[in-house]
Amino acid sequence: MRRVLAAAAVLAVLLAGCQSSPSGSTQGPRDPEPGLLRVLAGSELADMAPILDEAAAATGVRVDLQFAGTLDGAETVASGAAAQSYDAVWFSSNRYLALRPKAQAKLATATEIMSSPVVLGLRRSVAQQLGWIGRPVTWSEIAEAAGAERFTYGMTDPSASNSGFSTVVAVATALVGSGAALTVEQAASTEPALRSFFAAQTLAAGSSGFLQDAYVRRAAGTDPGPAVDGLINYESVLLAMNAVGNLPEPLELIRPADGVVTAEYPLTVLAGVPDRVRDEHRKLTEYLRTPDVQRAIMERTHRRPAVPGIPLAAELNSPTTLVELPFPSTAGIVDVLLTSYFDKIRRPSRTVYVLDTSGSMSKDDRIGQLRRSLAGLAGADTSLTGQFRRFRGREEVSLLPFSSAPAPVQTFTIKEDDTGPDRQRVADAAQQLVAGGDTAIYDSLEAAYRLAGEQIRAEPDRFTSIVLMTDGENTSGADLSAFRSYIGTRPPELRGVPVFCILFGESDNAEMAEIAALTGGRTFDARTTSLPEVFKEIRGYV
Amino acid sequence: MAADEYPAMSVAGGRRSGRRMLSWVLALALLAVIGFVVFRDVGAPAPPAVTTVTGVIGSEKLAFFADPRVKDVFTANGLDVRVDPAGSRQIATTVDLDAYDFAFPSSSPAADKLLAAHPAARTYAPFSSPMAVATFAPIVELLTQAGVVAPGTQTFDMRRYLELTSGSTRWDQLPGNTAFPARKNVLLSTTAPCQSNSAAMYLGIASYVANKESVVGDTAAAGAVLPAVSPLFRDQGYLPPSTEVLFEDYLSAGMGRVPMALVYEAQYVAEALSPDPALPQGATLLYPSPTIFSRHTLVPLKPAGDRIGELLTTNPELITLAAQHGFRTPDPRAFSDAVTARGLLQPPTLVDVVEPPSYDNLEGMLTSLGCPA
Repeated sequence: MRRVLAAAAVLAVLLAGCQSSPSGSTQGPRDPEPGLLRVLAGSELADMAPILDEAAAATGVRVDLQFAGTLDGAETVASGAAAQSYDAVWFSSNRYLALRPKAQAKLATATEIMSSPVVLGLRRSVAQQLGWIGRPVTWSEIAEAAGAERFTYGMTDPSASNSGFSTVVAVATALVGSGAALTVEQAASTEPALRSFFAAQTLAAGSSGFLQDAYVRRAAGTDPGPAVDGLINYESVLLAMNAVGNLPEPLELIRPADGVVTAEYPLTVLAGVPDRVRDEHRKLTEYLRTPDVQRAIMERTHRRPAVPGIPLAAELNSPTTLVELPFPSTAGIVDVLLTSYFDKIRRPSRTVYVLDTSGSMSKDDRIGQLRRSLAGLAGADTSLTGQFRRFRGREEVSLLPFSSAPAPVQTFTIKEDDTGPDRQRVADAAQQLVAGGDTAIYDSLEAAYRLAGEQIRAEPDRFTSIVLMTDGENTSGADLSAFRSYIGTRPPELRGVPVFCILFGESDNAEMAEIAALTGGRTFDARTTSLPEVFKEIRGYV
Repeated sequence: MAADEYPAMSVAGGRRSGRRMLSWVLALALLAVIGFVVFRDVGAPAPPAVTTVTGVIGSEKLAFFADPRVKDVFTANGLDVRVDPAGSRQIATTVDLDAYDFAFPSSSPAADKLLAAHPAARTYAPFSSPMAVATFAPIVELLTQAGVVAPGTQTFDMRRYLELTSGSTRWDQLPGNTAFPARKNVLLSTTAPCQSNSAAMYLGIASYVANKESVVGDTAAAGAVLPAVSPLFRDQGYLPPSTEVLFEDYLSAGMGRVPMALVYEAQYVAEALSPDPALPQGATLLYPSPTIFSRHTLVPLKPAGDRIGELLTTNPELITLAAQHGFRTPDPRAFSDAVTARGLLQPPTLVDVVEPPSYDNLEGMLTSLGCPA
């Protein structure tokens, strides 16, 4: 007995020795819980939850997924903020991160788990009409049909989501058609062709989830906006939508013959994590790459296996060889492409900001936060995401402040080539906002719709949206039921205009949610995130 | 910690089976510790003391060092060998070598550079592997018609290939091409030359051909070949960070993603020799002519490092195991036995082999390609 105790004591000492390992492993906030891997991930990976639950049972490594968009994620990694709260990142691709040396240096082992190319999904009847079933179709043909308005589609915002980002890269590379990676000059020269391609985009979203929901609701007629013919997204997302079976018409997958950009989902441990985390990352990725799990991933999430030797499911078999397009090799090219997409290529937007300046906005410097939010969108926010979510070239921005009644509107049109001075004017106007008076939410929303109606009649070809920011309940003028009946009778050109509502201060959650639902918009919570962050997030939807 | 500091290079080391083996080894090691603690008191004879030896190695050798059979040989010799993966270029320049007993880069130029800063009485070159092209039968057919592959051979003519690429020829421009009419340039897929040794060796081959069949020997020659060699990398766009990632893409993603990949022969042979080979349909291996041998060169940094070098070059079991991992051994019989044992065709004896440029000339070319110095 004494011997066993002695042995146990020695073992305890040994184990204690292991913990204070000489490699200087970090402790404290970095290492909160053995067996838990905290992962910053792309939102589409929510579908991996059942697989990850099984992985936890099999390996003892649990995964806590927190979601962010590709550029937001890149920014979090590059700034070092990711290291504070996460052990690993899991985005559709590390390519964008790899172009930024600062971010690349913060990544350690990357292990590819699965892949999915970004492709076009089109309602079967429309694909048939276009003659695109059963033969190879190129991006150039797709661009030509889009330019002729023979179909419409939705895609995610390239600054918010990788599928949108990959689309811009793929289409630009394919339309240049040089066979090599894009150069800066080529990125600029392809603007006219890109413009006609993106003219057919009638639905935008800051996240893939909202995009799918909006597509399904519009197809089913439960959303006031017009139905859309297709979506550009991951092959896996489109196949999953077909599998759910709630689409009036299945999506026909068009995998462009001149090439795709593929997401390869590297599960990447961050540099400087403790050895324990690296072991757990290794254990988990080993498990995820076993043939059985790879098959399960393919069957349940419609993604392609990363390990060799697993036969593809029939739905993943493409009649033509999937060619991978070269991805730009410098951050400069990608940035030029994105900037010109926003300022020159995409359909210009029109945004009416309905802004509460009632007396309660003087509390806690709320009015100051509002001014700073608008200044951020005007260009004061120079972060990676900020520079792609500012007011864009050709955009029409209206500020409609309100308190006891809607105040006079100021409308700014941002010039295409030299956006700076016009953005400055928006920031200056925001600086003049002062708090005082009651809260007339619905009178002001109706005023916003009337304004949008006039603007649309004058110039119809824009993405038009309304952003509502209020910090309290309606205390003046029309009420929600009056707004409901207004919405029921609004003219047809306003039916596709959504209201994006910001929950702030003491705003009424239920009423805000109803406004969003009535108009095909959504709510954003500025009580859990800062007001400027929320203003920025909404840019992905307008 | 070194791998943390050089993250670009620690990408997915020992991807296929290495990791599984490693956890096995760790589990066994823990059992051994417990067993040792428990049994010491009950009077069992103490096993020989084990010396821990640490090394920093090119990542393509990780699977070899993680193989339990390799570990067993080291253990039997009283050694516990621990390795961190890093890129050969990083090993030669930025890795802090004080923490290690040996460095084991994948090329002789990197080893030469290391030796200059860390003089050692001798170095060890226990195995090597020529650069090769992993591709597919339909591609070989097209390359044959285009005059890049001599009919019925495994020879990939680098001169003819550079002629094709100098005109930015796309696959769909090759006459009579219905098998792979991709609107994409005919280009060997490579890794990032700034990070990965295989791409640097490819640069050595291409620069030799562009330099009128002569190893680039000075700055003037390095500058002169730049217009010919830089599109080989630039036109590919984003490049994978390690040869393991590239080879796995070849194995799993197929012809559309990676029609032809510049890899180490050892990777392809190791896959063919593995218990469950996963080579894709129509998989074919070609050899650039000329090619370069990647000579894995162990540089001892401390006396313990010498023991590893000795064992790797003299221990018959380790030599056999290296051959089973696809490496060519100094005594060619071990390699050819490993291949014959699986009933595979003997890889050719390569005659058109050139030397890589010196470290400084290679480095000069890499810097001109935009690699951070």
